Amino acid sequence: MILATVMYRSSHIVVGLFTVLQHQRDRPAAWLALGAALASSVTVYGTAVRRREFSVPLVWLDVVVVGCLTPFVAYAWGGSALSTPGDWPVLLGTSSSAVAAVSLEGWWVVGAVGLLAVAHLTAYRYASAASVVIGGHLISLVSSAVLAWVFWWYLSRQGRLLDAANARALEAEARRARYAERLDHHRALHDTVLATLTAIAGGVDASTPQVRERCAREAAYLRRLIQRTSERDGRPLPLGAALEDAVRSAESLNLRVTAQYHAIPRLSPEVSAALADAVTEALNNVRRHAGTNRAYLTATGDGDGVLVTVVDRGAGFAPDRVDPGLGLRRSVHGRLAEVGGLATLESAPGEGVRVELRWPR
Amino acid sequence: MITVAVVDDDRMLRDGMRTWLSGREGLRLTGSTATVPELLGGHAEPPDVVLLDLLLRDGSAPEANIRALADAGCRVLVISTVPDRARIVAAISAGADGYVTKDNDLPALVAAVEEVAAGGTAVSPEMAFACAHDDRPERPRLSPRELQVLRDYASGLTLKAAARRAGITPNTAKDYLDRVKAKYRQAGRPAYTKIDLACRVREDGLGVP
Repeated sequence: MILATVMYRSSHIVVGLFTVLQHQRDRPAAWLALGAALASSVTVYGTAVRRREFSVPLVWLDVVVVGCLTPFVAYAWGGSALSTPGDWPVLLGTSSSAVAAVSLEGWWVVGAVGLLAVAHLTAYRYASAASVVIGGHLISLVSSAVLAWVFWWYLSRQGRLLDAANARALEAEARRARYAERLDHHRALHDTVLATLTAIAGGVDASTPQVRERCAREAAYLRRLIQRTSERDGRPLPLGAALEDAVRSAESLNLRVTAQYHAIPRLSPEVSAALADAVTEALNNVRRHAGTNRAYLTATGDGDGVLVTVVDRGAGFAPDRVDPGLGLRRSVHGRLAEVGGLATLESAPGEGVRVELRWPR
Repeated sequence: MITVAVVDDDRMLRDGMRTWLSGREGLRLTGSTATVPELLGGHAEPPDVVLLDLLLRDGSAPEANIRALADAGCRVLVISTVPDRARIVAAISAGADGYVTKDNDLPALVAAVEEVAAGGTAVSPEMAFACAHDDRPERPRLSPRELQVLRDYASGLTLKAAARRAGITPNTAKDYLDRVKAKYRQAGRPAYTKIDLACRVREDGLGVP
């Protein structure tokens, strides 16, 4: 719409330029009026293009300077006769009314167009123009505003319809993602909790260590499931899903993981995968070296960043003497550094190991 | 000898607890009911520690249960299946002395009971996490050191390791956790009358001095 009114105004400026060049070449006032119109146009449209919308005060300035004052100046000192409807000083008024129609609100449009009409009427009266000329011009002044307004209304309506369609598409996408996640959970529930309960109901001895271990693991899974669904709404978070996979794979190797999440930010799939890989590696390390079957995972959001910790209460080590975590150190550091994160490893003998993953570093 | 009672609507858990605690020296199970009124209705001496399930099937509010038990002179250790953070925070504010999830093993549970009976706080990583990441506007103000110990403990570190990270002794770290509990209780105390309300406004430094 900005572009359309720019073209409208440009055509008027060009007409003005040719007329002045042909008939009023020696009249400084005509050049001055044309210059003022040009300056006002550059200010109004320049600002509009930069901000992607019209500035209301500048539009009023254009209405007053270009629309109302130019005809008087051009008539009084510029040598314009104002005897035909197409004279350039009044033509500029029609593009002013078009801009006013698309940028002002409600009754202000009527006010601006009315102001223009009165100013032009007065100017024509001064010039004692024929009433058919005045009438014709006033009609083109009003119709410019009406046409511009209808055009603008139509475009914004189409825009709104397009926005609504986009929102619907996004919502459908989110629904699909939620549905896929639910299916995933159903499959997992089927393979774990349901299978175990069915086996116990069928007479499997539930007091053996293996069955109890399995029950504990699956209870932990259900617990996380409940916590996650109660905490967020909308699309599943890439990091939440990736961490869940890491925890599930550690649990399938008989490690019990207490996982707690708070305000996880929406990270890219790459960063999420790198963090989850580092968590998997850290959990593997607990399983192999810590001498405990329990680990703690937390992920907490910090603005756009995230802090993930993997902690155990196992054997630990003296970092300056032995380094059983060499593999851990290398793989976790490297994987996280690739995506701009930072890993730190802390331990003391008998106090377990704490792996901290921070993104961004 | 510490007397213990269990309030839980799951009979399987109550029976399990009885078996668990029967062979335990220093602990004696004196009551096992499905609701708080049932436990307090008897004429027996109230137990030292009550293991209270957070959500009971009688529809009672956890906060009301905790207050009733505390008023009867019991210390309350809340146990629950799912660590719902809002409920944990509400339970501590209402006067619970600790919170543990039901998936803890017997030694951990006994340690928590002993801690609570001795007047301490049984802080689980879940409880520490709920307090450390409490973002309600009415949360109590914690000092940076308290928050650090709380966060480190929430991440799964032992108290000793959390203390080492903060450069303090385990005893000081424990004091910090007790202070967090006290602050939550303080913030959870109900304002009954206009005078009480005025006192609270003055205490909190909100009114004109």
